[in-house]
Amino acid sequence: MKMLVVFEKKGLMRFIGHLDLQRAMQRALRRGDLPVEYSQGFNPHLLLSFAAPLSVGVIGEKEIMEVPLRERIEEETFLSRINSVLPDGLKALRVRSLPDDHPAAMAGLFAAQYLIQPQGDWAPLPSRVPDFLKQDSIPYLRRTKSGEKMDDLRPMLYNLIPRENGLMATLALHEQGTAKPEALIKALADFAGVTVPPCLVTRLQLLDRRFAPLEDA
Amino acid sequence: MDSEMTLRLERLLEQVARPARYTGGEVNEVKKDPVPGQTRFCFAFPDTYEVAMSHLGMKVLYDAVNREADLSCERVMMPWPDMMDGMKAAGIPLLSLETRTPLSGFDAVGFTLQYEMSYTNILAMLELGGIPLLGADRNETDPVIIAGGPCAFNPEPLAPFIDAFLMGDGEAATPEMLRAIGLCRRSGRSREEVLRCLADVPGVYVPRFYAPQYNENGCLTAFSPAVPGVPAAVRKRVELDLDQAVFPESIPVPFTEAVHDRIVLEIMRGCTRGCRFCQAGMVYRPVRERSTEKLLRLAEKLVASTGYEEMSLSSLSTGDYSGLLELIRGLNERFSEKRVSLSLPSLRIDGELREALKDSAQVKKSGLTLAPEAGTQRLRDVINKGVTEEDLLRTVTEAFLSGWDSVKLYFMIGLPTETDEDLLGIAGLARKVVGCYYALPKGKRARGVKVSVSASTFVPKPFTPFQWEGQDSLEEIRRKQALLRGALNIRGVTFNWHDPELSFLEACFARGDRRLGRVLARAYALGCRLDGWQEHFSFDRWMQAFNEEGIDPAFYASRGRGKDELLPWDFIDIGVTKDYLWLEKRRAENAQTTPDCRQGCEGCGLRRFEGVCRA
Repeated sequence: MKMLVVFEKKGLMRFIGHLDLQRAMQRALRRGDLPVEYSQGFNPHLLLSFAAPLSVGVIGEKEIMEVPLRERIEEETFLSRINSVLPDGLKALRVRSLPDDHPAAMAGLFAAQYLIQPQGDWAPLPSRVPDFLKQDSIPYLRRTKSGEKMDDLRPMLYNLIPRENGLMATLALHEQGTAKPEALIKALADFAGVTVPPCLVTRLQLLDRRFAPLEDA
Repeated sequence: MDSEMTLRLERLLEQVARPARYTGGEVNEVKKDPVPGQTRFCFAFPDTYEVAMSHLGMKVLYDAVNREADLSCERVMMPWPDMMDGMKAAGIPLLSLETRTPLSGFDAVGFTLQYEMSYTNILAMLELGGIPLLGADRNETDPVIIAGGPCAFNPEPLAPFIDAFLMGDGEAATPEMLRAIGLCRRSGRSREEVLRCLADVPGVYVPRFYAPQYNENGCLTAFSPAVPGVPAAVRKRVELDLDQAVFPESIPVPFTEAVHDRIVLEIMRGCTRGCRFCQAGMVYRPVRERSTEKLLRLAEKLVASTGYEEMSLSSLSTGDYSGLLELIRGLNERFSEKRVSLSLPSLRIDGELREALKDSAQVKKSGLTLAPEAGTQRLRDVINKGVTEEDLLRTVTEAFLSGWDSVKLYFMIGLPTETDEDLLGIAGLARKVVGCYYALPKGKRARGVKVSVSASTFVPKPFTPFQWEGQDSLEEIRRKQALLRGALNIRGVTFNWHDPELSFLEACFARGDRRLGRVLARAYALGCRLDGWQEHFSFDRWMQAFNEEGIDPAFYASRGRGKDELLPWDFIDIGVTKDYLWLEKRRAENAQTTPDCRQGCEGCGLRRFEGVCRA
């Protein structure tokens, strides 16, 4: 059995990295005395799996992790116990118990929806969105492990909608390609001929191939 | 902190490396509501967050102060240069982790002095915190700057910057100091009066109330109180019963990984082995054990409150703890189910202990670390390191038999009376350790062996029998390192050595006097900070600082002192007497050893402290 946990990562917690988050969750599960399953072997550890790492600084509203369990536990019990030991800024929103053979959440991941909130003056950006989207290709410089590489953002941008408090974007997040909100805002700012504004980024939700919430898959 | 500054801070946090070092908010962080009459203290660690959060002393004092309703303790550390520069550019002062209060807004700020080469960080933190560097320039609204920790046993190089030092154990003394400060400040006393009150707290030294005199050779000739009523000798504080002393049941758990990220149980304080180079072995006397029952209770509470998956035992000589077997068995019983692993420091693995360790797969088999310190028996006798070659080779063989495949050997070079023969003895010993591995049949040993030899440079420390010795010159150290590099070209052996220039500066500040404060201020002005981090250390800038102040570093590092010379730290009473240290120095010169004092009192002087010696 395993528990799928939908959680938020906000406040000061947006500044902790993915490894830090893994450790924080492992320690919370231990403090909560939850019946988690450890790996076999010389240094037994907790095998948590996260649907998608979140960049440092980005807020996560509905992140997903899966916790392997060694015995059955009621969903409500799990939820209240983990929330009683999580630090401010991390909170489990809902949990779903699943059989071990249920496909991993990560396998169904296809895209993510973001809210990008530019700080300071961003007035010229929304009006340029329609033309920006009309482009057949949006070349951009992608940072990779081995250096920088030209790539096309357009096929990885599924939608972009100006809202009152920022820009809502759906971007690819799968094995064939991943686009970051920072790259999008830079491309849009370049297109509009303005300097790239610093942005507060929130990952609103993770989506599957049908653009439905991943946690329901 | 206003919302506009909060925004600037958040913006900055988005840009710097590892921002979780600056946010606080960890599990078990203590955030007290300010109430009238509360004395607010900020514990300042003059190194990075990762180093600070590895330090047990900070967690103990954090707990000791926060337990008191009328006191509060927050934390602050040295920001990395990207953050430091960003804060300066954005006009953000150094802020506490808990409530983002500028350092200048506390009643008292306390630095822990773990290492001489962190002193420039203290100045950097004061400046960024909006506090005048010099005690003389501070006014009634500035916090009182206090300091303690091992390097406080020679406080003089920091005398211009620190208002008051605490000598010895801080669990009870820190709250006493803070109450004295709080009470005086609230009753509107002058800064001078606040400090005068502090000087009455046992164990406290307020440098401005003392005056040194020097002769034409630059040697100290007198050091005495400059105001009536302050003690001529400052006696260190001692927690007599560790079961009664404060120890935390919950500690902040960092998000970003600390250097040592685990529960640490202090099982014992002090050491009776009497190694002659070791300052901790002298200044932390007498030996005091925490009871096994108490430790097991603390361990249970700490595991439950933190969720840590690893625990270690801390003391100067863990193998000497009388209840070690019982403790390890007790910890295994309680925690093997919970997958809490126990990491043990280097210690003798004898038969019984090996059995206890075998019971539990939870003990981490990290590398075995041993510290023979010197390469020949003669030199080990000089430094009174009671380890024989036979002991060492037996321990190593046992370890190889139990599956260990890597051994670290720690040595010092530049020890008093050292000859090239002693240095070559290091290589000889390393060769024999490798030999122990190959002497075992193939089926009984791990595949492949790694022996790493580390040689640090000997730094003579105050309150040791070697406090009168000169340090080898830089040229001599470099020659000795080169000699060893050649001799240690052995298959399976790697050799690491320390930067001798850093050790030279350590030697200056370890035994420095008040005049070195000028060099410190100059070095800081020239850009020195984070000197303990190789990428930031600049020996040239330090030499420039000495030069510009007209002070010869060799006077402090390289000069041998005579029996009758007044030493800058002589006014501190650590319990062990200067006569005893001199006796030990004479014995060292004759390679004469002194037994562990648990076998009989050696008359070190500690018995003057009533009720402290269990021998």
